Parts: sequence; C-alpha cells; structure tokens
Amino acid sequence: MGRYCGRDMGRGDQRWFAGLLACALMWPAMAHHSGAMFDDKVSVTLTGTVRQFQWTNPHCWIQVVVPDKSGPVEWSVEMGSPSQLFRGGWRPTTVQVGDKIVVVVHPMRDGTKGGLFVSATHEDGTPFGSAAR
Amino acid sequence: MRNLLSIAAFLVLAGVASEAATPRVDARISEFARLPDWSGLWVSATFDVGISGRVKGGEDELKAKLQLTRVPPYNADWAEKYQAALQDKTALALRASTFKVCTRSFPAVMEAPWQFEIATMPEETLLVFENGQVRHVYTDGRSHPAGDDLWPTPLGDSIGHWEGKTLVIDTVARSASEPLAPRAWVAMLSEGAHFTEHLRLLDKDTLEDQLRIDDPAALESAWTLTLRYQRVTEMNRMIPTNCTENDRNPVVDGKMLISNP
Repeated sequence: MGRYCGRDMGRGDQRWFAGLLACALMWPAMAHHSGAMFDDKVSVTLTGTVRQFQWTNPHCWIQVVVPDKSGPVEWSVEMGSPSQLFRGGWRPTTVQVGDKIVVVVHPMRDGTKGGLFVSATHEDGTPFGSAAR
Repeated sequence: MRNLLSIAAFLVLAGVASEAATPRVDARISEFARLPDWSGLWVSATFDVGISGRVKGGEDELKAKLQLTRVPPYNADWAEKYQAALQDKTALALRASTFKVCTRSFPAVMEAPWQFEIATMPEETLLVFENGQVRHVYTDGRSHPAGDDLWPTPLGDSIGHWEGKTLVIDTVARSASEPLAPRAWVAMLSEGAHFTEHLRLLDKDTLEDQLRIDDPAALESAWTLTLRYQRVTEMNRMIPTNCTENDRNPVVDGKMLISNP
C-alpha cells in the first residue's frame, strides 16, 4: 500500500483519488462497510475507562473515556459483529462498564475520536475474551 | 349403536388412509436418508474474520484468495466496457470508500464473510446465511419458470439435482444490474448468464463449490471457479447479523463517519 493510505492522503491532487481507491480496494476485510475510513498504517493505544459496551449489529462498540490534559475524551472503538465476537470467545459481559482498559485502534483518518479495534487488554495485561481469534 | 358404527367406520377409513400414506412416508424417509449430512455452520475459507471484523492474514493474502474480484474472461466488447468503467476513478473511489454491504447478489453471496447453514431436503435445499438471505434450490424435478413467471433477481432462480452426494445447482435470471461482487463494482454479467455449481463435501470439515459461469454475451469462454468453505467449530448456533440495529456509520458528504452512541 502506498503512502497515500497514510496521513498525507488529504492532498488535493489526482493522486488523492488513486490513493483512496487503493486504500479502499485493499481493505476488503470489513464485513459490513468499507474500511477506508481507518488508517491501518497507524496504531493508537488508548488507556482509559469503559463507559459503554454495545453488543449490537452490525458492529459491537466499546466507548472508552481517556484522560487528556484538556479533560476526558471519549473514543468510539468499532469491532466486528456479535457473531464474530462470539466466535472469538467474547460475550456481552466480556467488557463491563467501569473496566480499566488498554485498547489499540487504527484511528479515523479524519481525526475524529474513533477507531477500528486491533486488540484490548485489562490494565494488568490480561486479554479480554476466552479465545484468541 | 349409531355411535359405535361411526367409530368403526372411522377406524376402517383411518386404517385405509394409513395404508395409503405409509409407502409415501417411507419413500420420503428413504430419500432423506440418501441425502448427505451437511448440518452445522459453514463459512467461506477466504474470510477468516477476527473480532475486529477484519480478515486476518493481511490484505495481500485475502486479495490472492478472492476469486470473484478477478477480471472475468470477457470478450472484446465487454473487456472494452470494463476498462472504460475502470477509468472513472473518482466514482469508483467514492463507491469503494463509502460502500455498505448488507446483502449480496449471487454468486457474491457464495464468497462472503457470512456464516451459513445448509438444510437438505428431498424437494429443496436451503442455504441460510447469517444476514438473513436464503438461497432456495429446488430439487423436486421442476424446471425454471417460463415466460412471464421468471424475471431477474439478485439471487437468480435455482434448481438442482443430486449426483450421488454432489448437489448440482443450475441458476439463471440473475439481475444484470448487480456487480459481480463488492469491490468488483464494474465487473458485470449479462442477464443471460448461466451458472452451474457442483457442491460437495470434501471431508467432514470442508465443502467445495465448483462454479462455472457461462455468458455468451459477455464472456469469451466459460469462467470456472472453485470456492471452499470450512466448518465453524467455535460455535454451535447461528447468530444473525443485520445492518439496521445500531448502524453508527453514516455517509455524509461522501465520507463515512462514526456517529456518537
């Protein structure tokens, strides 16, 4: 994948479209929608507290409140469907409100506080879920 | 006395009916017994999706596995149309970066990340996908509907027959307006496309679908693909998915976003 899938994709020339097309076509993995909105070349580690865990279709979501120097910031972490999580050993009770969590995401390209789930552990490093899919 | 006669008459009639029904029931039981057992959950071997909702193994590996996104063996006219459609990179990029897939047409539904179950019955085989789509394959000896009874649909019209333990599926009347697969947005077929599948169990955990596509209007030659499915061993029931329960990915001004909960 070329550099246009990275942070400098916003340049307003013809390469932008070629880059976007390349990103989109090389993100055929999402079950529900294009993954071009996420920057898969960048990983951000969020350390915070779970405000909500949505066990819903078409995606499950973890809402994480992360302390910041300007105040707490809430991130929306997108995951797979309940079926995909269940197959991976997760259940609706795997993540609880108030859990301290360290979650790695591929962030939104537009800078909004959201990202695609990569991995998650408790503060002590133990993973969530019972299986490693 | 009249009541006793009525009861006796009922018993005689019931006995006759039972005698008449038994051979049909036995025959159907025998037909069931001849069918292969494809129970359980299956998923395309191409899509090994993790809890992130992404395919594991990386993009290159997935790209190498996907078959319906390859360029069909078009004839000269359709190859020219295909190349021309590829030139509209703006539209293509927009579509590729903002698409949502809630259902798929045939044959794309056979190369999808959705789990499915197969119910084999003497008269019909059902392929039931976790997103709610169902392929009906009628195996009762019927032909495709004729004339006005048949019109193009995303899944087409499927009939089939058993050759030993192999289900041979014949599909016609697939909508020509449907792209071949998500991310193959400009790859089209004509409404005259004819699909033949040979679906069989390779081993207890592997299904194979040999798919042949004939389309004299669009293809230079028949297009043959081999799709594989693996048994899902981590769960024992289908968990349905849908796009509407909590869709937090609106498309605004040509960009897909994340909405707040």
